[in-house]
Amino acid sequence: MLRTTLFSLFALGLTACMHFDTLEDTLVMQTHARDWRDEVIYQVLIDRFSDGDDGNNYLLDRENMARYHGGDWVGLEQRLDYIEDLGVTTLWISPVIKNIETDANVDGYHGYWAVDLTKPNLHFGDLNALRSLVAAAHDRDMLVVIDIVTNHMGQLFFYDMNLNGVPDIQLSGTGMRPQGSPVPDGFDQSGFTHLTEYDPDFNPDGIQAFTSLGPAGIAPIIFPYNPKTGHVTPMPEIFARPDTYNRKGRTFNYDDPQQLLTGDFPGGLKDVNTTRYDVKVAMVDAYARWIELSDADGFRIDTVKHVEREFWRYFTQRVRQRLAKQGKTKFFMFGEAFDGDDVLVGQFTKNDPPSAEELKQYADNKDPGPTITGDQLDSAFYFPQHYRGFRNVMLDAGSTQELADLWAQKTTNYGTTPPAQSAGIAPYKVLVNFIDNHDVARFLYWASQNKVDKSPARQRALLHNALLLLFTAEGIPCLYYGTEQEFRGGNDPSNREDMWRPLPYLGQTSAPRPYDTGGPTFQWVQRLTGLRAAYPALRRGDAKVVYSTAHTADEPDAGIFAFERTGGDTPTYALVVLNTNQTHASSTKFEDMTMKVSAPKGAVLVDVLGDKQKFTVAGDGTLELSLAPVTGMVLVPQQDVK
Amino acid sequence: MRRDPRRVPAASNVLVVGALASGLGLAAPALAASSSPTTVPRAALAGPAVPAAAPAPSPLPPPPSSQPTASQPPITDPSADPGDSGDASAPAPSETPAPTSAIPSTAAVAVPRATDESAKPAGATADPPPPPSDPHDPNQPPGYANGFHFGSYGRVIAAGDAAGRPGRDADIVSRGSRLDESNYAELELRREDYWKKTGAYTRIVATTAFANPVFHYNGQFAASIALRNLYLEETGLGAKGLSVWAGSRMYRGDDIYLLNFWPLDNLNTIGGGLGYAFGEARRTSLKFHAGLNQPTDPYYRQTVLRAPPQNQFGETEVAILDRQKLISSLKLTHTWPLGEAGGVKGILYGEFHYVPDGQREVESKVYEALPKDFGFVAGGQVTAFTGKRSTYLTVTGRFAQGLAAYGELNAPTQLRPNRRTTGAHELIVTLSGNWEKGPVGVMFGGYYRQFRNASKQLDFDDVNEGIVIARPTVWFGQLAGLSLEGSYQMQQRGVLQEIDTNTFKPVIAGLGRVGIIPFITPGGAGGFQRPHIRFIYALTVRDAGARSFYAADDVFSRRSVDHFIGMGAEWWFGSTSYFRD
Repeated sequence: MLRTTLFSLFALGLTACMHFDTLEDTLVMQTHARDWRDEVIYQVLIDRFSDGDDGNNYLLDRENMARYHGGDWVGLEQRLDYIEDLGVTTLWISPVIKNIETDANVDGYHGYWAVDLTKPNLHFGDLNALRSLVAAAHDRDMLVVIDIVTNHMGQLFFYDMNLNGVPDIQLSGTGMRPQGSPVPDGFDQSGFTHLTEYDPDFNPDGIQAFTSLGPAGIAPIIFPYNPKTGHVTPMPEIFARPDTYNRKGRTFNYDDPQQLLTGDFPGGLKDVNTTRYDVKVAMVDAYARWIELSDADGFRIDTVKHVEREFWRYFTQRVRQRLAKQGKTKFFMFGEAFDGDDVLVGQFTKNDPPSAEELKQYADNKDPGPTITGDQLDSAFYFPQHYRGFRNVMLDAGSTQELADLWAQKTTNYGTTPPAQSAGIAPYKVLVNFIDNHDVARFLYWASQNKVDKSPARQRALLHNALLLLFTAEGIPCLYYGTEQEFRGGNDPSNREDMWRPLPYLGQTSAPRPYDTGGPTFQWVQRLTGLRAAYPALRRGDAKVVYSTAHTADEPDAGIFAFERTGGDTPTYALVVLNTNQTHASSTKFEDMTMKVSAPKGAVLVDVLGDKQKFTVAGDGTLELSLAPVTGMVLVPQQDVK
Repeated sequence: MRRDPRRVPAASNVLVVGALASGLGLAAPALAASSSPTTVPRAALAGPAVPAAAPAPSPLPPPPSSQPTASQPPITDPSADPGDSGDASAPAPSETPAPTSAIPSTAAVAVPRATDESAKPAGATADPPPPPSDPHDPNQPPGYANGFHFGSYGRVIAAGDAAGRPGRDADIVSRGSRLDESNYAELELRREDYWKKTGAYTRIVATTAFANPVFHYNGQFAASIALRNLYLEETGLGAKGLSVWAGSRMYRGDDIYLLNFWPLDNLNTIGGGLGYAFGEARRTSLKFHAGLNQPTDPYYRQTVLRAPPQNQFGETEVAILDRQKLISSLKLTHTWPLGEAGGVKGILYGEFHYVPDGQREVESKVYEALPKDFGFVAGGQVTAFTGKRSTYLTVTGRFAQGLAAYGELNAPTQLRPNRRTTGAHELIVTLSGNWEKGPVGVMFGGYYRQFRNASKQLDFDDVNEGIVIARPTVWFGQLAGLSLEGSYQMQQRGVLQEIDTNTFKPVIAGLGRVGIIPFITPGGAGGFQRPHIRFIYALTVRDAGARSFYAADDVFSRRSVDHFIGMGAEWWFGSTSYFRD
């Protein structure tokens, strides 16, 4: 009785003044997404965007790019005005779950080194901060996509190949390989050979142990325990079991399907055996729960090409079904296959029926859900376009025919049937377009290496033209944070700059204030997102290439790329014309062939991107336009101009 | 959940036989500095420490001890209370020592009472041992007397749990039951002189303190030592009622013995101060103090290695950041007498903390600016006392803001994005008292504390907590007694507890304890009478929330019931630290 009374009195006093803003009522999930084609995604590497909470600043090293810098969810929420100003409608945030703290002097700041799928990465905040961020985004009609990884966990264990119980690492070789020469098998870029029990080369029979007397069978794996570095017991419990992992060592030949699917991801990231039923169930439970906890609206999924399609069928369908039961539909999942092979990347969105063996696994395990079908992901991160469109064409002035050819394969390679209970849009229409991201050098880094003209003005023009393509092409544009601030870092981790430490804009010597909204590229993006919002054709219209060319030299049409956006759900029309040539003006005409458009003859089209110049479609349906080097136009019918 | 691995809950202190120094009962600064006395504050600074300049973690605040203080009514002989005993032979009230609670401390020092016979213990009527040549009541504040003097506070205990593991502080709140405190001792040496020419008194105080562990426990011929006092004070120099001091000093007011807690004012400072007691009766006093410190933390000091000047070989250390904290305090006290010996004492109290701006190196030749910062404390106290049998009731309230919320010997553990402590605060409200009648008495206390770090987001460092505690005692004649102690403490931290599916609240932990403490004492009855040789048994019950504050494999994370069994001693006598503030 006394204890109860005391407890009540204390509880009254204590709870009266401490509460989490978002967590004390059960979250009821809702469908916030409407039509994913309308979205503009902004990719945020949380650690690098904004530090809003000193309370989670643990062991920061802001001067080294491979270490934690302090950004967090609170910081991102505090900067939503900035992001909204840009015209963004969806946030893609880096992984939220607890990571290996540090490994080989590199931190898990990026979020791709999972150790515990059930807990948040405290560097970024707690669940309250995450839920608050998502709620704040929803209040602004913005959506949130969470990045996840199912292919691998962090470097949780080592292979005890010599059975001595400790992780051995050896460096050998001369290091004399001439720079630029091919890397022989077993060697790294430096020419040294790394022999490491953390990350041994792939062995299809499993990593083997050897002693001085010879082979000793399968090498046992050892999970080191070191809380300071974050090497703690993996969770859920299934991820602490050796047989959850394939244990075959590091993938070094991506063309070998076995290595691709069962090898560890380079860097010692341990490959999960995603063909196991219990692993599939655990992954669904672990990641669906983050949506149930946060009300986020989608997943960006890492390294999908390293995971069997049977997993994707199960994972995506069960996640959709589970969330839909709770009121969350149109949940959007797009996968990243870091590859220029369009056929390969498209494998994960096309309808691909399960095998009998696969279905037997579910039957044997009395899987409670509906029968698994051929549905997979909603969309793909359009890496082929990154290479063949943005790099080859927009940056290097390559053949625009290459981009047209790529687009022509979309329906074939990505599929035209939306998965059941999905966002409801055919995968080929909602591919996630991007110029660059956290895994590749920034566009401006490459622009600064331009062979024709390295001037700041040219670099900016190249970027602006690429952005024009990004925001007008069919699909969902995804802008990597900092692009609008003209960040120009090279490869990872140089491309992961702190937003709070801006660089001088191109051609300038002093940096603007952080989160500046007055810069030329910020305003350019703002303009493009504004056009996209104003003209439905730029969001939902079907894309049809009306002019492309293999010419890249002195030809009068070299570098021209033009496409229409019309049809689909919208009767409106837009015509986008780009001149990617970097040396001369080009026109939409070569010899006796002039660009033909579907706008009615006599229609007056207005360049809403430029100075509102008007052009009239000729009586034969052709339209001849001339564009200065590295420029573009967005033409809409005069009556539609806003 | 990610946590600084250095960070452990309060209750993970280990007593020597068991105990750790930090379990000895840390001063209020530690309480203010963090929600856990054993928390080693993280630097609130971002960026790495430059290797050569990486300072050691902040030290734990010095462990104080607890005894009745100047304003806490001292022991009065039970036989001196005619109303209690009805003994016609009892001394008249006028013969009893004047309760110091009724007299401003400066008044107490104005009249040397080195040969105050009235302080002779009432129980000292039996046969040998022969009375000392200078008998005194160890529970009375020492008066001035020319020459060298010695005083001490100490406690030593041998203890364990039911499984034979060392006894260990099990409290989850910053200030919990002190039954499981570990070893601690202060040895005070002082020199006192009366100057006929000026009518002034000089007192030089040097107090050495020893914390756990002790040699006879671990066999290590070493000690954890601190100099807790080293100051000189002049009283009556130039003006009656005026006192001036300078040096290093424990500078504090009244405590709650049961919690080892000075809730209103408890400064450990190097500086100086002056006080003035007004009027003949000196019922009103005003004290001002200012001091400097530099806790060992990169928030205050950072050194880096540089090439020596004049093209010399080697390297030399340079303090890139080297800033001190200024702490000043002001205390106004007034006592209203009531009845023969009772009264009401009121205190208004304030502190101001300030640190100048600076810069630190976060990478070679890359600097981070640190802005100046400040904080304040405002508080008050009301104490009503009878002047008899140490009976009193005290209420305190204190609010600390900004830099001051972390305490005087600590660095902020979190900052706002502008690198200031704006928003950090600590609120403490306490109630404590003692009542004695005949052979029985009860001591009690309790507090509510709210601490919020500078960062707006709730996290593990953000705490609401409180405790209620009572210790009734019965004395068997003048030789022995039996105390029982019961307490219940709760703590709420800003970390998630899933109370229902997908519904979370800040975790709430509760811990209850009952204890039995039989003791023998030569000083007779009285809650503040010491020395004691005592046996302690305490039963602790912790709920799931409390267990969740301990790391996996810590026995406290698994045990809902714990036993503490110990035997030890506690004493205090003749020490200025516990009678004058």
